[in-house]
Amino acid sequence: MSPIQTTWHHIRRSPFQSLIAAIAMFLSFFFISTFVIINSGLSTVLKYFETKPEITLFLKDGLDTATVENLQKDLSSYQGIKEITFISKEKALTIYKEQNKNNPLLTEMVTASILPASFEITVSEPEVLEKIYQNYSTKTNIIDEIIYQKDIITSLLNWTNATRQIGFAIIIIIASISFLTMITIIGMKITNRKDEIKISRLLGASSFYVKKPFLLEGIIYGLVGSIFGFLFSFLLALIFQKSINSFFQPIDFINLNINFCLILLFAEIITGTLLGFIASWIGAKRYIKF
Amino acid sequence: MKIVFDQVDKKFGIVYALKDISFEIDQGEFVFLVGNSGAGKSTLLKLILNQLKPTSGKILLGDIDLSRGNKDDIDNTRRKIGVVFQDYQLIADKTIEENIALILDIVNYPKEKIQSRIDKVIKEVNLGTRRFLFPSQLAGGELQRASLARALAIEPEVILADEPTGNLDPENSWNLVKLLKDINKENNTTIIMTTHNNEIVESMGKRVIKINEGEIVKDYNISKKS
Repeated sequence: MSPIQTTWHHIRRSPFQSLIAAIAMFLSFFFISTFVIINSGLSTVLKYFETKPEITLFLKDGLDTATVENLQKDLSSYQGIKEITFISKEKALTIYKEQNKNNPLLTEMVTASILPASFEITVSEPEVLEKIYQNYSTKTNIIDEIIYQKDIITSLLNWTNATRQIGFAIIIIIASISFLTMITIIGMKITNRKDEIKISRLLGASSFYVKKPFLLEGIIYGLVGSIFGFLFSFLLALIFQKSINSFFQPIDFINLNINFCLILLFAEIITGTLLGFIASWIGAKRYIKF
Repeated sequence: MKIVFDQVDKKFGIVYALKDISFEIDQGEFVFLVGNSGAGKSTLLKLILNQLKPTSGKILLGDIDLSRGNKDDIDNTRRKIGVVFQDYQLIADKTIEENIALILDIVNYPKEKIQSRIDKVIKEVNLGTRRFLFPSQLAGGELQRASLARALAIEPEVILADEPTGNLDPENSWNLVKLLKDINKENNTTIIMTTHNNEIVESMGKRVIKINEGEIVKDYNISKKS
């Protein structure tokens, strides 16, 4: 009987223990997959806001070209400015129409004249944002409104970090529980087959020979758990992709591109196999003393 | 494989199971271990198999000092020993054929020859109709023969047989002893057999080591009965 046949025999002989071990692994990898997908979405949201201008100055209507040019020169003189983009009323209309192309009701009544011109500014030194905001918020004769993204990004970053930390903690707890469950189940299986192991050792089987089927068993649970955990999470993401993405529009919160999925699946298979192997190795080492 | 016991003691707590045991058994010898129940015969076989460690003294199996050998040495040595256990030690959820296949796998017997080897030993111990049954489905004598078949399968250098005739009827007992004798003669296999059956011991004309209360009281050869 080959080690794989022996392992299959062990699995069949105690199906409920095997099922619990596989479910424990499945749950771990389901949470890991879900967490990775959510985390990827959060990163996309962050990136979206980070690539947006960090401060936008909306100009009063009716400013002459010289005033606008002077304002641009004045803004350029600040240390730590990365880019200043002037958005004219016409360009603002184009952007507005692009953003609302799926909703003609919102675009048909809008003309360039009702949209304000603006300066979109990105910085390399965040401290300058505060200075710009302080200086221009008082110049109400030329500035209509200032949108300062820093607060949004900071708050988003805090939320993202908190979500990551909580998710990471949940994964560690669940993975630890399944790891310990696996060690215990392998231990129980070894105890059930104590006589067989003892006899095999007396007949000359090496310690590795008797451990091998249990190590393979651990690897199988890790493999099966990781594949099904990923598939279940992927399936849920696929089902809810449309509704979640429409909520986060225009951001693709759930982006299941093939490379991302394959890398995630591959990484989970490797991790699952390794986790299963280590857990069963510890179980075997702990319980096979003869 | 030569077996040497040099002043071996085995104690369980304060009780001596074996005391100051010294003997040498050459390759190809057929030795009977006799003595009353509890005399220490099975303990002695367990020491040879390294199932128990001696409290003191030295046990050599070939070149390997069991009291000092590492795990690999001990595993390798065990693979050269065929054992017929008193309590059979067959794996309950494997058929007789699978039990034999297991030991052949353990000793790395060539895969393509495993089936023919199983067929041969099953035939030798006359268990043809029982090969696909589980140990729980076999009678005592059949289990004894299955245990012997497993021991023979690996073509061992040494066979340790602990009361192999204990559960057999007279006819099967003689058949088994004859089989062991043939193997001893044909393959030069060392055989150490414990028994209470004086008739067999006396008729075989082999070396006899008599143990009483853990000590060797007699080590002698008897001439074969005609």
